[in-house]
Amino acid sequence: MPIRRRIADLAALLFATGATLFGLMWLVWILWTTVSEGAAAISPALVTQMTPPPGESGGLLNAFYGSAVMVMLALLIGTPVGVAAGTYLAEHGRHSRLAAVVGFINDILLSAPSIVIGLFVYELVVRPMGHFSGFAGAIALAMIHLPIVVRTTDEALRLVPNQMREAAFALGVPGWKVTAQILFKAAMSGIVTGVLLGLARIAGETAPLLFTALNNQFWSASLAQPLANVPVVIFQYAMSPYDEWHALAWAGALTLTAFVLGLNLLVRLLARRGNR
Amino acid sequence: MIMMQLTPELTRSADAATVPEPPKIEVRNLDFFYGKTQALTSVDLAMPAHAVTAIIGPSGCGKSTLLRAINRIYELYPDQRATGEIVIDGQNVLEPSYAPSKLRRCVGMVFQKPTPFATTIRKNVAFALSYYERLSKSELADRIEDALKQAALWDEVKDKLDASALSLSGGQQQRLCIARTLAVRPEIVLLDEPTSALDPISTAKIEELIHALRQRFTIVIVTHNMQQAARVSQRTAFFHLGELIEVGDTSQIFTNPHVRRTQDYITGRYG
Repeated sequence: MPIRRRIADLAALLFATGATLFGLMWLVWILWTTVSEGAAAISPALVTQMTPPPGESGGLLNAFYGSAVMVMLALLIGTPVGVAAGTYLAEHGRHSRLAAVVGFINDILLSAPSIVIGLFVYELVVRPMGHFSGFAGAIALAMIHLPIVVRTTDEALRLVPNQMREAAFALGVPGWKVTAQILFKAAMSGIVTGVLLGLARIAGETAPLLFTALNNQFWSASLAQPLANVPVVIFQYAMSPYDEWHALAWAGALTLTAFVLGLNLLVRLLARRGNR
Repeated sequence: MIMMQLTPELTRSADAATVPEPPKIEVRNLDFFYGKTQALTSVDLAMPAHAVTAIIGPSGCGKSTLLRAINRIYELYPDQRATGEIVIDGQNVLEPSYAPSKLRRCVGMVFQKPTPFATTIRKNVAFALSYYERLSKSELADRIEDALKQAALWDEVKDKLDASALSLSGGQQQRLCIARTLAVRPEIVLLDEPTSALDPISTAKIEELIHALRQRFTIVIVTHNMQQAARVSQRTAFFHLGELIEVGDTSQIFTNPHVRRTQDYITGRYG
């Protein structure tokens, strides 16, 4: 190999490796900071006590509960609607103009700033009700979850080879049964992946909850009342001047990061199983 | 050369073809379009019952298109359409009022690539069967066994009916697709190059199977492989550029074709 090419090769390799390390460095740094700051505040109190007033010790139990309930409700709303709409796009509306329009609008919703969705739900739910509530928070999260499920369901079904569709229809079985029993089964790992990725996304959303669920320093199990949740607690506590609150914010951030990381690992595992 | 090698096979096929049978499928003046492209032009073809009709011809001649018209599977794609008549047992099945599900129950189809459903072997066979018929558990098990036996797959899978169909070999998957088709007791079976993705041993098994099934079903097979057409069929139709060029008893087509283009094709001058 001529010397010039060898130098160019080496330079390109060094540049690519450097760029990769530069990108990875931030990720590791973020993880390291989160773990080192958060680990100090991890204690049994975190999951047994409520968010404290300034100057007292406490935990994040009400925030964990509120986040879990709102995220679950958002999944319950977003998943069936999203799977149904994605199925329409991929199967029944495949050649129609309406489906093309719906798909385009879904893409817009997918990239809509989450604070806009929060503001919209504020107008839609919070103002008529007269106060912030867990319901409003769940609806806002569902609206972020929905387009993710629509898109991944659509794509997972489109990946099912046409031959399998033809083979199922060639047996004379009606479309709904082909979709329910053959196509969903073939696309299952893709659809579940979409639902879990959507879950990872909404678990950390803060902006839409600021206008909807707000926060609640005390224990409240009611979805009709303002509801504590991890992202907003992190936001408020991190902005505060109190050290105890800072520590709790880091602990919340660490838990959230670990949860999202775990979900992503689960998704990878499922995808690998689906490919076999 | 090819014709000489085929002769012993042909005599057997010719004997079988001498039994007169009324046509089971009659294609009349069929035109087929993919969008604006015409793929078949005024095809008239009668296919006898309880016999194997082979459709041969070079790539893109419309062989598969003809099969896809017979069970109307082309209707999954809105830009494809057929005009003319396909008469099965005296009924024009291309009539829009004739339900495609009714047609497809009577006309099964097996595709080029094996298409097992992503579920167990048992559920692959039971899928359509349990939709059409309300069967008790033991009846269903009997019908599944029966279908797998007809497809010569039973001995290989009887101990692992609840294993994934995707764990089978390509040849086994294709026989599973045949079993799945036979389970609903069709009268006609369409085979679209059923062995082109398979190894020679699996191919031989499927060809034996076609011989055995001929007694009970009307079979139409599309094949690229002329030796295969000669081995398995009693009637052969030669298509070229969307037109039916010649149809006759397989022995006649392969030994004494009346049309020059047929002769050129079977002697390998083009295709």
